[in-house]
Amino acid sequence: MLEIRNVSKRYSSIPAVENVSFCARAGEVTGYLGPNGSGKSTTMKMITGLIETNSGSILFDGAPIHDDLMAYKQRMGYVPEEPYLYTHLSGAEYLVMVAQLRNLGRKLATERIDGLLRLFALYDDRHVAISAYSKGMRQKILLAAALLHNPYLVLLDEPFSGLDVGSSLILRSLIEELARRGKVVLFSSHELETVERISSHIVILHRGKIVADDSIERLRTLMSLPTLEGIFSQLAVEQDTVAISKQIADLIHA
Amino acid sequence: MHKPVNIEKRQFRILYKAFLLRVVDLELLSADADTSRLLGQFAALFAGLSYLFTFWLIFGGGGISPDFLSVMEHFLIATTMLVVGLVSVLCWESIFPDRRDVLVLAPLPVRVSTLFRAKVSALIAALSLSVLSLNSISGLVWPRFFSITNGGGYVGMFHSLAAYWATMLLAAAFMFGCVLGIQGIASLLLPRRQFLRLSALLQVVIFFLFITVYIIEPSLEAPKALVAPENQRLLTWLPSYWFLGLFQQLNGSMLPAFAPLARRAWAGIAIATVVGATSVLLAYFRMMGKIIETPDIVPGGRRANWSLRFGTMLQTSILLFSVRTLLRSRQHRMLLSSYFGATFAIVLAYLKTSLKLLKLLHGAAGDAVDVSFFVASIWVMCFAIMGVRLVISMPLTLRANWIFRMTEIRGVTAYLSAIRRAFFVLAAIPAWLLMAILFLLRWPTWRIAGHLLLLALVGMIVVELSLYGFHKLPFTCSYLPGQSKVHVVFWGCLLVWVPLVAARFEMRILNRPLDFIWILVLLALVATGARWRTTAVAKSAEKLIFEEEYPPELFTLNLLQNLGVPLTHSTATDSSSQSL
Repeated sequence: MLEIRNVSKRYSSIPAVENVSFCARAGEVTGYLGPNGSGKSTTMKMITGLIETNSGSILFDGAPIHDDLMAYKQRMGYVPEEPYLYTHLSGAEYLVMVAQLRNLGRKLATERIDGLLRLFALYDDRHVAISAYSKGMRQKILLAAALLHNPYLVLLDEPFSGLDVGSSLILRSLIEELARRGKVVLFSSHELETVERISSHIVILHRGKIVADDSIERLRTLMSLPTLEGIFSQLAVEQDTVAISKQIADLIHA
Repeated sequence: MHKPVNIEKRQFRILYKAFLLRVVDLELLSADADTSRLLGQFAALFAGLSYLFTFWLIFGGGGISPDFLSVMEHFLIATTMLVVGLVSVLCWESIFPDRRDVLVLAPLPVRVSTLFRAKVSALIAALSLSVLSLNSISGLVWPRFFSITNGGGYVGMFHSLAAYWATMLLAAAFMFGCVLGIQGIASLLLPRRQFLRLSALLQVVIFFLFITVYIIEPSLEAPKALVAPENQRLLTWLPSYWFLGLFQQLNGSMLPAFAPLARRAWAGIAIATVVGATSVLLAYFRMMGKIIETPDIVPGGRRANWSLRFGTMLQTSILLFSVRTLLRSRQHRMLLSSYFGATFAIVLAYLKTSLKLLKLLHGAAGDAVDVSFFVASIWVMCFAIMGVRLVISMPLTLRANWIFRMTEIRGVTAYLSAIRRAFFVLAAIPAWLLMAILFLLRWPTWRIAGHLLLLALVGMIVVELSLYGFHKLPFTCSYLPGQSKVHVVFWGCLLVWVPLVAARFEMRILNRPLDFIWILVLLALVATGARWRTTAVAKSAEKLIFEEEYPPELFTLNLLQNLGVPLTHSTATDSSSQSL
């Protein structure tokens, strides 16, 4: 189980997240939602150990992650929000490098890399430099690199970004399947419909603070709203969206 | 709404500024780093050289003979041409827009001609700044002495000053035009993908060609040498002498022997300018569409990724990543070429003076191995390792580093071992093999075998010195410009001077087998000790470094600790921040 306890992070005294606490359990898909700039990616980066917290603690299976960060990283797979890759390498070279860095056995890694490349429909382009890949292809490479070592904790920051409809459907099923197989899955996305369909547990962040942390059903009942979109709009969207869109159209027309 | 002409002017100004600052690749620098500071450092370096060129005049005093003035005129022209040539080659990538430029600018209403003018103007500005800073002091002091040959006085002095600067700028235009022409013609003749592949090779070849010509061109400034029939063919191929003729013509002090050289200079300027500008302009319009279609980096081969093994998984991974980055990243390859070019120049200049290289090449010298070759081989080994150390400190794509941080599942010593292997494969072993081939082909003797054995041990020691405290993965750590690392300069100077003494000592002990064995054992012990020390420091490090940080602005003196009051690190930090 992944447990976030009273975690706060400030950038030059500006708070990015404040006193954030929630749990992501094994066998569950935890959806992490929030508007742009609400602190989702900062939380994700703190969970991966890429950035440190100012206060609070992050526990994995009961122990603080920084107690043995290396062991923790061995059990974690992460897809970052931005698809930054070493674009001078080909897709296959990148995955082999990740497998070697993760100390995977040669035979096992070859099987998995070939398999993942085929399943993600990248096999024919495996020797092409990543610089020539489309956004969706890069996203698939990130997903393959995150899953290569069969992680127990799967952290996905906007994993659907750039994927086509078919790939999105595959990923949606994959996330559910990973949870069914007992993994801890935490993912953030702006696609509320997808989150609603596959998440058993929702955490909504607004202005760096948790505003909701429960199952979808309970949130629906508590807030008397039929959809996640309605719940999200009520909790995390402050603006009058229709009025703003009109103002934008008026502005460029003037 | 703005008038179209005004819009183009504004677009030009904005793009010009952006491209001028982009002469340095921003991706190499840390988030807090300042590009203008780095450019300032380059200007200061050139100005420092300019000061050195006048050092003798300021402190040496005494009379100057006309022959020496000719030598100095030629030296200043040749050096300016070399610097402009090298800077042009370094800016090779900036001549054509890259994918990023096209992706950002293509959707905007910016004409290709505006983009072209801004690019070329930025490059010309960067090159002009190089010429100005390189001649900032020498270009004011030396013309006073050059005016001796045109009658002297204030009029003569201003005449010489104008002739000097005109010659330097025309020589710079000639060099820039040549580089533009070569690149433009290559891009017109070849498909884009092949051009990208050949472009890198062409860049490195031209770079080394400029340095080699500068170092080995003979001194022919004296009137006798200029008219000697055996030198005429050589003079027609050495542009620095054409511009010496041009300077003499503009200065009004031309001897008849300089007339054909001056004519050649004018023709050279005309041809280089026309060919350079036309070919690049044509190539520009041809390439714009293709830049988007083809990637900047040429993909690797279709070889199996698992077929190569260099030790453990981590060692193989780091080594392959380093090799691929060096082979495919143009800026790193160019940086390494610059460094190796400088080494090549030092070694060649040293060999030229100490051995009279040209005579040796023509077979006039004897067959005995000279101590100078030992010095040269040690320098090659040391500078190869230091060069690789310098280049791998420059990052490739800082934002892609997260994968190394996410997969950091071993201690720093494991990474150190992998980086060490990369150093050996990329620098020490190639340098040693090169020396072994060159030496054994010419002098297949036991003494040479002994020297190669010592050279290998020296290589091991220098690798360990380079790795001391280096807890970074190749091409991943950000770079902060403006850090003056005094200790690096100190060790660099030692690397230049120590081999001069050590090689003479080595030459003597190679004749005494027992002493030789003792030295071998001693060096082996030093290498082992250095390796142990580097590993011990790595063991004490908590994790790898990915972001270079500015040193703290305030240091605590730990006075309380000296008085016996214990002071924790956090307390020290707190007190310094409170002082702030």
